[in-house]
Parts: sequence; C-alpha cells; structure tokens
Amino acid sequence: MKITTMLFVSEFEELWFDALQSLMGLRKAGLNHVVFLHVIPRERVAMRRGTGYLKQEELKLREIADIRFIDWAETLFEEGMEVGAHIAIGNVVPKILSVAEIEKIDLIVTARIKKGKFGEIFLGSETSDLLRRTEKPVLLYNYQSQAGKVGENPFERLLLALDWSVSSEKVLDFVLAMKEAVKRVEIIHVLSEKQVGKMSKMEAHKVERENKKRLDEVCDTFVQQRFDARPHLYIGDTEEQIQRGAAEHRATMIVLGTRQATAWKEKWSGSISHSLAEKSELPLLIVPAGGK
Amino acid sequence: MAKKVLNVEDDPDIRMFVTTVLEEHGYIPIMAKDGEEGAKKVKDEKPDLIILDILMPKESGIKMYHELKKEPSLKDIPVVMLSGVSKRTFLRSQAALTEFGDETVPEPEAYLEKPVEAEDLAETLKKILG
Repeated sequence: MKITTMLFVSEFEELWFDALQSLMGLRKAGLNHVVFLHVIPRERVAMRRGTGYLKQEELKLREIADIRFIDWAETLFEEGMEVGAHIAIGNVVPKILSVAEIEKIDLIVTARIKKGKFGEIFLGSETSDLLRRTEKPVLLYNYQSQAGKVGENPFERLLLALDWSVSSEKVLDFVLAMKEAVKRVEIIHVLSEKQVGKMSKMEAHKVERENKKRLDEVCDTFVQQRFDARPHLYIGDTEEQIQRGAAEHRATMIVLGTRQATAWKEKWSGSISHSLAEKSELPLLIVPAGGK
Repeated sequence: MAKKVLNVEDDPDIRMFVTTVLEEHGYIPIMAKDGEEGAKKVKDEKPDLIILDILMPKESGIKMYHELKKEPSLKDIPVVMLSGVSKRTFLRSQAALTEFGDETVPEPEAYLEKPVEAEDLAETLKKILG
C-alpha cells in the first residue's frame, strides 16, 4: 500500500500549489510521481442557443489550466519528481476514476466536490459519489478552512479512527506504509453510547476492557515500527467523538476506513466517513475496504 | 528515402500542426499521444528524429528522454524538445535525476519552447537531419 503515485485534482479554487507542496512530506514515504487533473465542467462550454458549442471558451480554459500545471510541474521536475497532467471536459467523478485507473494511482487528493443543491439533497455530494465508487484511498483536503490555512504538514499528527472492520485493517496497513512521513499517531475507537447504555455495568466494563486491549495491541504494532503512538477509547456518538478526539489531540488529519454502499443505502443508514467528508474542517483520509 | 520523425505530444492541435509541418517538408510523421506510447513507438519504428513534449499523461518527456539516452541502441536518435516547460527546468530536472543516482545524459539536439513557428521547426529539423 505504498504511496508512489498521487493524483492531485484541482479546480484552482480550493487547492493551489501551496496545498500540493504541503503534501510533499510523502516523498519520505516513497512518493515520486504526481499527476494533475483539472476537469472543466461541461456546462461551461456546452451548446447554447445562438452560440453553439463554445470552442473558444474551451481553448481558453484549457490554456489557463495548462499554464498553471506547467508552472507547478516545473518546480516538481526540478526536484527530480515525475509529473503528468490531464485536462478534461465533463463530470469530475468519472474523470477522476478513469485517470486513477490509467495512471495506477495510489492516492487521490481532492477538495470537497460540490454539486447543485437538488442533487445533494437526493444523492449526496459528488464527494460521496467518489467515495462510493473508488477503490483508491482518497484524501479530502480542506486546505483553506474557515479558520484559515490548515497545518503546513498534514501528516504530522494523525488521528486513526478504528471500528475493527476490514476497512480498519486497510487503514492500519496504509498508515504503517507512510512511516517516514508521519510523526505521531493517535489511535481512537468509539463505543456507541446506545449499545453501552443497554448493558449492565459489569458487561459495559468488560466491553471497555476488551476494546482497550485491542487498542493497546494496535498501538504496540505502531510502536514496534517506531511510531509515536497513543491509544484512546471514547464513548458516545461516533462522528462527534472522532471530531472531539481530533480537537483534543490536535490532530492534523483524520484517517478512517469506509465500506462502499449505494447512495440510497448510505442516505438511510448513514455513513460516518461520508458524513465527516461533508463536515470535517481537517483533512480527511478515507481508505476503502476494497482498496488495493 | 524520406526520414521518419516521431512526435510525442498529448495536445491534438499541436500534433496536427507538427504533422502538417513534417508532411510539407517531406518527412514521414509518426504520432504518439503520451510518453508511454512514445517509448513503445521509438522501439518499434526506430525513427530518425524525435520531437518530444514534456508535460503529458502516463510518462513525462523528462523521464522518456532520460530513458532514451541511457539505452545504447536508441541514444543516438536526435531529439528536439518542444514544450511549454522552460529549457532551464528541463536541464535542472535531468541534473536532479542524476543526483538520485542515475547516469548523466547529454543535452538534446535542440530545445524549442512553445509556441513555435512552422518555419523555425522546419529549419531546426533541416539542420539536424540535413
């Protein structure tokens, strides 16, 4: 699960070159190839009554993206990195999926992708769509939060949210492979308040003890690999507690797994990763259960 | 016999422009749309000259050039770089690859920064291919 090739999706509004540079700590963990992708929304150039297809507009937008990418690429080339670029017209999620496949991408980096309010109410955001459809790890990088710029090194202090599922195991493998780029790992598991509330005191203590033991075991694995790691057990609403844990331990990024589900299933059953993807101000690294 | 020129370029408009220049001056154009396809066509077609872009999908011209010049059977094929990336960056990137333990490679026969005039491209090709 080593990250050697990263896809950097930029609409030039949220993710700029300084956001890309803040991810260059990953070079210590093996990153040596960055692929840029800019997708021009079809509606920007589509056929209109009286004007037809806006060919000139397409050329202008392609040229703007090309100049920007050349500028970014020059810096990376001079540092000895391999760089590629794709400029496409159409829907962003299918383009991300197709480029990720063509370029054999290990990590997709994108800002939260917005779509119309109507679509978001019924289908969730484009971001949820991407998370449902990709098998690659996705870093949702909210580089410019409302509070200002998020940390210069997002890999400095990771909060790993584990639910003991298959996707959690993938998260562990993924983070262990990033050893050289990560300074500290806070490992958190959240016990559901509802579940614990129904148990006797004795049963609740037993469950707590079992989960602490599992956390300690995971923590030991990280310590053996020379990570600075700490285990934390929380009780309450999972999403709230992950956010709280991230704040308490001054995490620079939240990392968690996700299971691929259909849009409707996810809408009704809820998904922690997708919900955090919509709300978290911190960078969020989501590793799918099916991720290779 | 007409000489074969391979153009490795992802922009279809520039591929069309280069094809036109090549045909007008009696060369046989061969096209590749990215570095990966370019590397394959170099081996299959053994062109007399390569016109190479830099920022492309799959494999950049920086990597392709370096690989080409390290391969004894291909290193003597002249290369004209044609790119929006500056020559200074190209040279620094080749030096950076050397710093990471790779062997030093010579400079390309010519370096043209986009946009290029048809006459300038034709003249450059004529100087190299005769």
